[in-house]
Amino acid sequence: MATATAAVPQTGVTALLKHRVVGKLLLLALAAAILIPIANARWASGTWPDALTVDLSEPLGKASDWIIDNRDSHPLFLYFFGHISNAVVLSVRTVYLVLLAAGWAGVTAAAALVAWRVAGVRLAIGTGVAFLACGLLGMWVPTMQTLALMVVAVLASVVLGMLLGLAAGLSDRTFRALRPVLDTMQVLPAFAYLLPVVLVFGIGVPAAVLATVVYAAPPMARLTALGLRGADAGVMEAVESMGTTARQRLLTARLPLARKELLLGLNQTIMMALSMAVIASVIGAGGLGDRVYQALASVDVGAALAAGIPIVLLAVVLDRVTGAAGERMGSGSSQSGRSGWKPWGYAAVVAVAVALAGRFTDRLDWPEAWLVNIAEPVNRAVDWMTDHLYSGVPYIGGTADWAGHFTTWVLDPVRDGLQWLPWWSVLLIVATLAWLIGTWRTALTAVLAMAAIGVLGVWNPSLDTLSQVLAAVAVTLVVGFAIAVAAARSERVERLLRPVLDVFQTMPQFVYLIPVVALFGVGRAPAVAAAVVYALPAVVRITTQGLRQVNPAAMESSRSLGATSWQQLRQVQLPLARPALLLAINQGVVLVLAVVIIGGLVGGGALGYDVVFGLAQGDLATGLVAGGAIVCLGLMLDRVTQPTERRTRKGA
Amino acid sequence: MRTKTTAKPMLRTRMLPAVAGVSALLVLTGCGAADMTKQASPFAGVQGAKTVTLSVQSWVGAQANVAVAQYLLERELGYRVDTVQVDEVPAWDALSQGRIDAILEDWGHPDEEQRYVKDKKTIAPGGDLGVTGHIGWFVPTYFAKQHPDVTNWKNLNKYADQLRTAESGSKGQLLDGSPSYVTNDKALVANLDLDYQVVFAGSEAAQITQIRQFAKEKKPFLTYWYTPQWLFEKVPMTEVKLPAYKEGCDADPKKVACAYPHTPLQKYLNADFARGGGEAAAFLKNFKWTTEDQNEVSLMIADQKLTPEEAAKKWVAGHESTWRAWLPK
Amino acid sequence: MTTSTPGKTTAVEPVFSVEGLWKVFGPKAERIPGDPELGALNAAELRARTGCTAAVRDVSFEVGKGEVFVVMGLSGSGKSTLVRCLTRLIEPTAGTIAIDGEDVRAMDATRLRELRRHRASMVFQHFGLLPHRSVLDNVAYGLEIQGVAKDERRKRAQEVVAKVGLEGMEQRRPGQLSGGQQQRVGLARALAVDPEVLLFDEPFSALDPLIRRDMQEEVIRLHREEGRTMVFITHDLNEALRLGDRIALMRDGRVVQLGTPEEIVGSPADDYVREFVRDVPREQVMTVRTAMRPADADEAERGPAIAPEATVSEAIEAVARSGFPVRVMDDGRCLGVVDHERLLGVVAGTYTKTAAGTESKTAAGTESKTAAGTESKTAAGTGSKEVV
Repeated sequence: MATATAAVPQTGVTALLKHRVVGKLLLLALAAAILIPIANARWASGTWPDALTVDLSEPLGKASDWIIDNRDSHPLFLYFFGHISNAVVLSVRTVYLVLLAAGWAGVTAAAALVAWRVAGVRLAIGTGVAFLACGLLGMWVPTMQTLALMVVAVLASVVLGMLLGLAAGLSDRTFRALRPVLDTMQVLPAFAYLLPVVLVFGIGVPAAVLATVVYAAPPMARLTALGLRGADAGVMEAVESMGTTARQRLLTARLPLARKELLLGLNQTIMMALSMAVIASVIGAGGLGDRVYQALASVDVGAALAAGIPIVLLAVVLDRVTGAAGERMGSGSSQSGRSGWKPWGYAAVVAVAVALAGRFTDRLDWPEAWLVNIAEPVNRAVDWMTDHLYSGVPYIGGTADWAGHFTTWVLDPVRDGLQWLPWWSVLLIVATLAWLIGTWRTALTAVLAMAAIGVLGVWNPSLDTLSQVLAAVAVTLVVGFAIAVAAARSERVERLLRPVLDVFQTMPQFVYLIPVVALFGVGRAPAVAAAVVYALPAVVRITTQGLRQVNPAAMESSRSLGATSWQQLRQVQLPLARPALLLAINQGVVLVLAVVIIGGLVGGGALGYDVVFGLAQGDLATGLVAGGAIVCLGLMLDRVTQPTERRTRKGA
Repeated sequence: MRTKTTAKPMLRTRMLPAVAGVSALLVLTGCGAADMTKQASPFAGVQGAKTVTLSVQSWVGAQANVAVAQYLLERELGYRVDTVQVDEVPAWDALSQGRIDAILEDWGHPDEEQRYVKDKKTIAPGGDLGVTGHIGWFVPTYFAKQHPDVTNWKNLNKYADQLRTAESGSKGQLLDGSPSYVTNDKALVANLDLDYQVVFAGSEAAQITQIRQFAKEKKPFLTYWYTPQWLFEKVPMTEVKLPAYKEGCDADPKKVACAYPHTPLQKYLNADFARGGGEAAAFLKNFKWTTEDQNEVSLMIADQKLTPEEAAKKWVAGHESTWRAWLPK
Repeated sequence: MTTSTPGKTTAVEPVFSVEGLWKVFGPKAERIPGDPELGALNAAELRARTGCTAAVRDVSFEVGKGEVFVVMGLSGSGKSTLVRCLTRLIEPTAGTIAIDGEDVRAMDATRLRELRRHRASMVFQHFGLLPHRSVLDNVAYGLEIQGVAKDERRKRAQEVVAKVGLEGMEQRRPGQLSGGQQQRVGLARALAVDPEVLLFDEPFSALDPLIRRDMQEEVIRLHREEGRTMVFITHDLNEALRLGDRIALMRDGRVVQLGTPEEIVGSPADDYVREFVRDVPREQVMTVRTAMRPADADEAERGPAIAPEATVSEAIEAVARSGFPVRVMDDGRCLGVVDHERLLGVVAGTYTKTAAGTESKTAAGTESKTAAGTESKTAAGTGSKEVV
């Protein structure tokens, strides 16, 4: 859709853009000419001037102390947070008990039957196999813990998201107020949510669930609102013309019409909840994430993988099943034959029967004899890899050498360069980029976000982090585009790639922490590597799709003109896929930033380390400030790389 | 426009179930005060079993303690044990809230001890673990043998060049570990005028991996490390002498210029659990072993890649006299 | 055509009566209708002056019971806005609308809902079906929102589904139907609530020509069977001529001419209308009543007889066969005759031309119309005032 709009008025837009660009640049130059001498005279320093920082560590430290001292006495905690926390514990516990009572056979049967009902036989088999695999890997109980946490978190997210979405979907004012908030929340790295909830709820499941809800509800709210607002105006008018009440319109038309978006929202919410539930192991969520985290302590990649695989399996199953359900509903066709509650009844009966059978044969716990130990072979493979690739590989050098060169020749110069730049020139560059690519509003947001970093007093570490992010994004884009081009040209490559991408996208980032260090040593280089691994799948996927969706007519005509495939790629596919490429860049940036904190765990230092430090030491001042700075960086980078939507809207 | 006018009544009707749901939850959780510092983990105590929740810190020694304690609690005393990995300081908070019942290895947190043990009395001391911990700077023994004088901090600057990495730039690299560990290294480097850059590995896993990679290549390195630690068995390391530790020389974190102390590691229990935890609490108070014992288990877990349970089983089989004494009479 | 059908002319009480209706979009729209100076501006001027767009300007008409009233115009002429004003799907800016004498604009929300539920049902260009419901449930939707019990509404929906020829497709989803079938569902949905008036908003413009013709037949058939009042919006002149008892031709929000198809084709009110109807095969629209001239003495006794409602093309056939002028006979009385000259005049279009040479003919035609043709229509309550 966007391809067409971007493609046709290409020349017109560029001309216009040039025009606007000149105007904007002149304006900025003018502003700079006035403001910079003032700023320079007043606060002459290369880095952010101390006079302009606000030290939050004392108030934050005090707040944290106050909370710890009053958590068991203050009414706010006793009568509000206490109840929330209690409700969470109660619900998670209930779900967990039900899951345990159903036993492994019952849960597997129930999951497979649900998958069968909503998504068909193939996915039902897949679901069953996935659950059995969790058991085989010796992860049954942790899987159930994660599942219990997920069920509660997803339900809460869906309810919360739907309510917000309804409000925003039905009222323009709420929508306008909510939209930027939701957009921003989608950019924020998951870790940023952990500290504030820990501050209030302390370590444990309630904090984990609430962080998950806060993280996973926005997509639901967003898509609900969009779905409700996007209801076919013709249908809505027809429904109104029949004398429906507002409530009838909502229940019989607007909501059902939005069911595709609602299911997509559910899908996204589930995926985000899962990733958060894993990350939340840092704050005591327990379950699979905790097993991964524990395995790391003994530098046991195999064990980490054994806990990581169930996460991937859960993610893939949940994604496919909800996705398939969404597609079925969207086409609206299949239901004629299978509607009604009866099959559901049968499914429920079968599930209960299996669960009871498990109970009576005393097979509730996963049998110990059925365990498969994958840790050893995996560890051997990892050892082999690190033994043979780390250094001394003939001609190309080992990975450690690459890491060293990358640090010396890329990361250091970029970081030093950024830190060398006077603070106001950084702001100016941000303003220019954001304005060129968006509106004055985006520019303002970006500049304010960047300035906030300075005010928080973490200017230098933030620039350090920024340099890592930039380097990682560059690597991701180069590698990602190359892979995507290959995948877009060959079906087979894409088919081979798909499961790999799935795995990398859902594998908890903790798991590849050790291999990354084993290959690249400790420092910023492995942090960049971890970020690349994490961001690559999304970039590859979006780019491949963008290249694939290029108008076939344009491709055909260029082929008919005798273009070589390289010419086709360069002159037709890439230009036409521009919106997708820009989106890929934006996503790349956002995702890379999301793993900055993981980077902190492998020696990336800077903001990521500060957040980890804050979490580990209970030092909320350091952690929150660094988290805030990451959020600001995220906002700034998002605004600087998010042009498509606005520009197409303007051009239209 | 039209939607807006219609939105209000709709919302009102939609809100009803939500309000009802919230109030139902409130009723369910009890209408009065809810003290969340008294809430146990939702995963604890299921299926009628008595449950003990233990905190596992991120280093293997702590895992070894927990593995053996868990094994014995489950096999000998019939408990169900949950383990949660939490960093040290948050673990104190969680212990105070009763979300975990015990910390088996604490390296000394005077602030938290003051707050929770002395002021709030929500945490009770559980006695010595029997292991003495010590933090220090280490170089690999193969390097120390070649250059014996490296083991004195005064000579460290001589070796800065050899200890350089890409990450530390023009200075020598002092490898630090997890942010949760007690460290004065930045201050030490500054106050002792050392030409070194502290590089934080960010996690112990990363640090260990890096050390092993260095060792494999017989490269020199300087690292923050601690004993007891199983890694010494794999990578023999020699401590670098820092200015001697004197009581109170580390009082001001900014002015520290002395070595780290030797700390007898402590156990801590949640106060309520210590009182009403029955056999489990008694067992955990009695739990006491030696550095060698701990290292034996750690090594099995970390190096032979046994599961903590298998490692515990092996150790338990060979040390019956030791653990028999821990069981409550 | 049906203008002189006795049943119609006698049913004089109007179902809808619209008086001075305005719909203006834009800021402070309500000042425009009251201001004669602003009201006189054309669309572009009005937009420049006030930022407003007048979609419907001072429109008045009445729709008689059992009548098919067609509003015709090109896109942007305001016809769709007009029909939506009737049930206040779009809130009018000024003027009065009455249904069966009851003021629609004064209705409160409940009363208005009653109106939409029971009295006026609408069929839409893009069908507006609920994609997640089966055909049967779509048809029953109107009854469902009225609170009719499930069995009852299914039963009634089933009947209507049969009536529009969709048997066997009850369980399909709209997405599985062709456009024509979907519109049958739309029609059935409107019929299911048994409304007093059916409102059609360009219902067939999205359909293929052949299907469109089928659907028009369907509407004609339904009208013949049930005699329900219909207001029909279209931009297709042929459709308007086929279906309409009377046609209001709209341009820029105003009704430029209101009359029977014959009047519109036969005597266009201005150049715009004339241009519009230029290509219409007028011999199929014009009746002999309009085309006839007074009979000479001998002609009244001789030649083939024909009813006054017969089209000119039928008369041509008769004249060609007999070679004589045809007598227009009503109840055994000879109203007049049509001869070669008259018939050719109709076909050639010279008959209504205002060019100097044929002035007299036009005058004669108009005379004859007022004399014989549309007095019944006028009686039905649609005086000449509507023709703005």
